[in-house]
Amino acid sequence: MTRADAAVTLRGVSRVYGRGAAAVRAVDDVTIEFPRGGWTAVMGPSGSGKSTLLHCAAGLERVDAGQVLLGGTDLTAARDRELTALRRTRIGFVFQSFNLIGSLTAAQNVALPLRLAGRRPRGSEVRDTLAAVGLADRVRHRPRELSGGQQQRVAIARAMVTRPDVLFADEPTGALDSSAAHVVLDLMRQMADAGQAIVMVTHDPVAAARADAVIFLRDGRVVDRLAGAGPREVADRLAGWEARR
Amino acid sequence: MMGMSPSFASTQAWTISRRSLAERWQLFAGAFLSVTLGVALVQSSLLLLISAALYEPPAGLSAADRMEFTDSTAAVVSMLGIILGIATFLAGFIISSTFAFTVAQRRRDLALLRLVGAGRGQVRRLLLGEAVLLGTLGAAVGVPLGLVVMAAQTWLLRRMGFVPDGFRGEWREWILAGSFGTGIVLAVAGAMVAARRAARVRPLEALRETGDAARVMTVTRWLAGLLFFGGALALIIVAPHGGPDGGAAMAMNVPLPAAIAAAALSPLVVPLLGCLLPTGSGVAGVLARANLWDARRRSASVAAPLIVLVALVVGTAGAGQTFTTSGIDELRRQTHADLVVGTTGPPATAIAAVPGVATASTESSLPVTYTTGHGEDAETETGSALVIDPAAYALAHSAGSSLTSLSGHAVAAGPSGDVPAHGTVKIELPGLKLGSLPIVAAAPTTMSGGADLLLPPGVAPASLLESAPTRSFVTLRPGADLPTTRAALAKIGTVSTTDAWLTADAKARTKTSDKIMLVIMGLGGLYALIGVVNSIVIGAAARRREFAEARITGLTRTQVVRSALLESAAVTVAGLVLGAVAAAGAYWAAVASTAAVTGHGTLSVPWPLVGAVCLVALLVTGATSLITSWSATRRPPITLLAARE
Repeated sequence: MTRADAAVTLRGVSRVYGRGAAAVRAVDDVTIEFPRGGWTAVMGPSGSGKSTLLHCAAGLERVDAGQVLLGGTDLTAARDRELTALRRTRIGFVFQSFNLIGSLTAAQNVALPLRLAGRRPRGSEVRDTLAAVGLADRVRHRPRELSGGQQQRVAIARAMVTRPDVLFADEPTGALDSSAAHVVLDLMRQMADAGQAIVMVTHDPVAAARADAVIFLRDGRVVDRLAGAGPREVADRLAGWEARR
Repeated sequence: MMGMSPSFASTQAWTISRRSLAERWQLFAGAFLSVTLGVALVQSSLLLLISAALYEPPAGLSAADRMEFTDSTAAVVSMLGIILGIATFLAGFIISSTFAFTVAQRRRDLALLRLVGAGRGQVRRLLLGEAVLLGTLGAAVGVPLGLVVMAAQTWLLRRMGFVPDGFRGEWREWILAGSFGTGIVLAVAGAMVAARRAARVRPLEALRETGDAARVMTVTRWLAGLLFFGGALALIIVAPHGGPDGGAAMAMNVPLPAAIAAAALSPLVVPLLGCLLPTGSGVAGVLARANLWDARRRSASVAAPLIVLVALVVGTAGAGQTFTTSGIDELRRQTHADLVVGTTGPPATAIAAVPGVATASTESSLPVTYTTGHGEDAETETGSALVIDPAAYALAHSAGSSLTSLSGHAVAAGPSGDVPAHGTVKIELPGLKLGSLPIVAAAPTTMSGGADLLLPPGVAPASLLESAPTRSFVTLRPGADLPTTRAALAKIGTVSTTDAWLTADAKARTKTSDKIMLVIMGLGGLYALIGVVNSIVIGAAARRREFAEARITGLTRTQVVRSALLESAAVTVAGLVLGAVAAAGAYWAAVASTAAVTGHGTLSVPWPLVGAVCLVALLVTGATSLITSWSATRRPPITLLAARE
């Protein structure tokens, strides 16, 4: 059953790569709820299926079994047209490698989802969103003129400008040094505190410890769950699961 | 649910189009160049064709000259028709392959757009918007450039004597609309398939560069490859049944579908051929071989225009030369004469009076306009007629008894095969309407053609024959002294041995067809070559990072450049081999056709041309790779890699 405060619900979701004897169950019968207004970190040894889980939850990857619900919308039944519309309005993405469009300025990158949705951005809308990530003075800069941390904050602003129901983040601090990562994590914490649902895949215990809850994946299954733990505890738990391979 | 107003979406598409134009200029410069040159070539060929078709003979020409003029204009019009066809084919091929390549190079950008909410329609509109923009810009530059190309083509045509000095290609107002239309239509058509494909890919797959995104052999590619392979095969099979003209036309057309098939299927073959090449066991060689396999898409894009270049130039020229050679061989076998005497006007009985001469077939050539068929089927053409002595002609040209009935007020169909062997034909000689004459006989059709009509003596008035170019095929009596007879004949006209005459005649013929090849292929080949350079430049633009990574790994700049050079050499050789396979299709058809028509299969490969094409291709791709990889590795690798973070 779906609780009213779940942003994303996965029910018995499986994703299998390959066929026959070579088949790999990247996600194996996972049932989980990501709450509205909460920040969930997904951790696990490499190859545990955490990125695949994120992609399935975000409707980027087809599932072989089960159901993915975004609020009340069934992503597994959605056609490409609906998924596209969802990406414009209700889902935001942040990736390890920023993925900004190099030819557009920071402001144009941020305005892009609005424009793709056929909306002319209000003058203040884009500026305010960039200001919220601390880049009010970088509006006209192109990605290559920005540091990695700044680029990631532009990417977050781009994801947030449509006020999505859920922000999906795949190793958002993976390409950043610790001080840039710190700024980005502070930003995400603020957003979560303001009621933003965030689902984040990471292998960094420091990043995971900033989340409200951490779930651990192994061989495509959810094997453990922590809430309110510090970096040390998260790291120990992760090491424990890695050692059991 | 979409909630998208089309006007905003297209405004956005245009904004991104203009933005990305400014950013990834190498890609767009390549696409732009392909459109510009294509438009220029098509426009010039079209204007020249129309100018030639409407060209009026200058006032004050004699009737005979007027007929000659009409005949040569008809030849120029059909030649320009072929040029226009090839120009359009090349433009379509090069533009679509360049556009497809630029789209493939930008998959990641497009996937990103999809990720932040761009619909399939929007990606498609974005790419088609770009195509419209590039088509328009390309045409804007292509139109004035077309005038330069036209001046060059006119100069070539004039210099080679295809058109008189007074001929010039004329500007037409409507060509503006035509050229912009050509540019936009070719660009949009070229981008269409690529855009559909790019829009279909799921955002995640493209981001990962796996699955669909990395698949080179798409369904479209397979279909195009197999379809055109079938087309080429059909032409090869049917050609031997097409007679001399039809067979030659079909054989010379084999390279077009064969080249498309080879280009479409090249991603299967290029890496394999590349791996067979001795690229050395050094690290540069290993890297080059790995890249050949990994970057099949890029290799295919470089190989495609090369395949077309080789197939078109070597295939068409070789098939043409094969038919010419076969025609000469056939004439050699058929002609029974010791000497040929050239005169102006028939030498009357002078030759027969020379001691030592057994027989002489005297043949005077006249321009003729003839009409075959009646009513709606009537067809009027301009060609040449030979005034002959039927018995002597049959002896000299192995015509057997086919001409025995030719006498009085009648004609025979000549060896060109263009006139039917039965019925009547309405004949007009310079300044003289002969009216309808019965066709009572037909000379055997020959590979190399010749006169359209044979006239018995007495049909043409002596006044016309006086100035007609005439040759007499002379057979000597057994035991006659050759030098003495030859000296005596030399007083009547220019004397040559039959073999020398046939060779000289053949040389004159080949010269004409060589010239035609040059006019047709020169600019087309240049265009295809620019297509090759285009692909290398576009490919290298995207390789800065790859080169930088290789250098960070420990390769020196020289090793990186050498590996790029090896790779380009391998791709070039693979392209040349595939082009040669397509050309071989044309040769196969040519050999089968000549065997069917003359009974002797002939093959004549223009080796110097083959060598020149290979050399130029290797030099051009080598130099381009050297320059692009050298300039792509100019900055220290670390600045490039760090900039991305």
